[in-house]
Amino acid sequence: MDRAQIPKILKSPGNWGRKYSLWAVYFCTGCGIIEIPPVITSRWDAERFGVIPMATPRQGNLFMITGYVSLKTLGAIIRTYDQMLDPKYVVGFGSCPVNGGMYWDSYNTIKNLDKYIPVDGWISGCMPRPEAIFIAVTHLWTLIDKGLADGYKRYKDNYEFYSQNQRRVLPHLPKFAGEYEAEALTA
Amino acid sequence: MGAVTMWVVGIIVLPLLAFAVSVLFLGVSRKVTARIQRRYGPPLYQPVIDVVKLLAQQENVSHGVVFDAGVVLALGGSIATVLFIPVGGLHPLATGGDLLVVLYLMLLAPLGLALAAGAAENPNASIGVSRKLILALGYEVPFLLALLAVMVHSETTSLAEIARSQQASVLGWGLFRVPLSALAVCLVLPAMLGLRPFDMATAPQEIASGPLVEFGGKYLALAALQGALHSYIVIALFVDVFLGGGANVLTFLAKVFAVFLAGLLVNAVYPRVRIDQALRFCWKWPALLALLGLVVVMVAGR
Repeated sequence: MDRAQIPKILKSPGNWGRKYSLWAVYFCTGCGIIEIPPVITSRWDAERFGVIPMATPRQGNLFMITGYVSLKTLGAIIRTYDQMLDPKYVVGFGSCPVNGGMYWDSYNTIKNLDKYIPVDGWISGCMPRPEAIFIAVTHLWTLIDKGLADGYKRYKDNYEFYSQNQRRVLPHLPKFAGEYEAEALTA
Repeated sequence: MGAVTMWVVGIIVLPLLAFAVSVLFLGVSRKVTARIQRRYGPPLYQPVIDVVKLLAQQENVSHGVVFDAGVVLALGGSIATVLFIPVGGLHPLATGGDLLVVLYLMLLAPLGLALAAGAAENPNASIGVSRKLILALGYEVPFLLALLAVMVHSETTSLAEIARSQQASVLGWGLFRVPLSALAVCLVLPAMLGLRPFDMATAPQEIASGPLVEFGGKYLALAALQGALHSYIVIALFVDVFLGGGANVLTFLAKVFAVFLAGLLVNAVYPRVRIDQALRFCWKWPALLALLGLVVVMVAGR
């Protein structure tokens, strides 16, 4: 540990923890997941950075969307994202979540993930190398330090926008309990 | 007055010591596992970062009163158990309670976790709890038989007395006086610690970490601390009963660390077995050895 860091850690231990203990949700959306096994195993050991895969969304706070997002996967992604606990960070991995990539004109994939859930950072490329994940993680550290990785706050502030976009492509997405109650009250 | 002060200091120091040692063990376990897998591994204080992060989480999802109470019951039960286990010369409550009290108190932690997991109403949690209970059914039989042999051999149920009676020489250790029982407990020790090849209760890849599937934030932090404390309790009990306790706190902790490291090496290289294979194994070899050990002790004592 760098000794110059200690006053900063004592000032905000929570920030220190959030930075160096990013637990990634084990969720494979597309072909990009093929880069994750070398990242978390011996060749590129992500545990050095405090990044380990977690089996459930309740335990994770880093959500990597690896590869193209089909409509069916988008439903699962939204449900997983809603189950994660604040603060949570989303990183789009590969070209497809950024702008559709090679699935640009496809009938059943979405083009820009940021319209459906808030994304804190992007790793572009098709495929990005495993090293790119570490560049993204260190970049996420600086964003967390500056308070710019605030996707979870944006999601709450602009929930109407995200919800409308989600419903437009997924009309049958289950509604929240609150909305059910509101409907029952008006009916 | 001096005795009372020592007593109070012991009661305060023992849980703190147990927390420090078990969190250090968590860090060491991740580092050693990484080195075995030819990785660099996280820093030694990574578990501290993780627990700080979990406690500082802004959102905590609870699943009702039983969920909250279960986690607290598990951690409280573990802390209470720590007080009854003699650590070197420190044993504030060990004269008041004996081995049987420890065995009963050790059941509080799994009970608390099972209550919390049941309140979470997640199917993965139910599967994890049922596996954990079946596994407990498997390892409790040889474990209790072995401890019965030890109690018969030393003609006392006091844990402090058993630890003290072994300190004359290395050959006086329970490991050499009741070798069959010690071997039986060695075989079920990974199952008691929840290490591979017996980690099917919390299998992350199969059932999404089992009982802990709905735990997040501060609940996961308390559960992680409880898990670390549980490993410390089981190994400390093993050291007190079979490895002669310790002349002072440092030798005791050195022995605990050695046993922990041996368990870690087993954990790092073995794959996971199925629950029925684990139950069959526990009821076959360790149980037979423990039963044989008990018969030998009873016959030799006559």
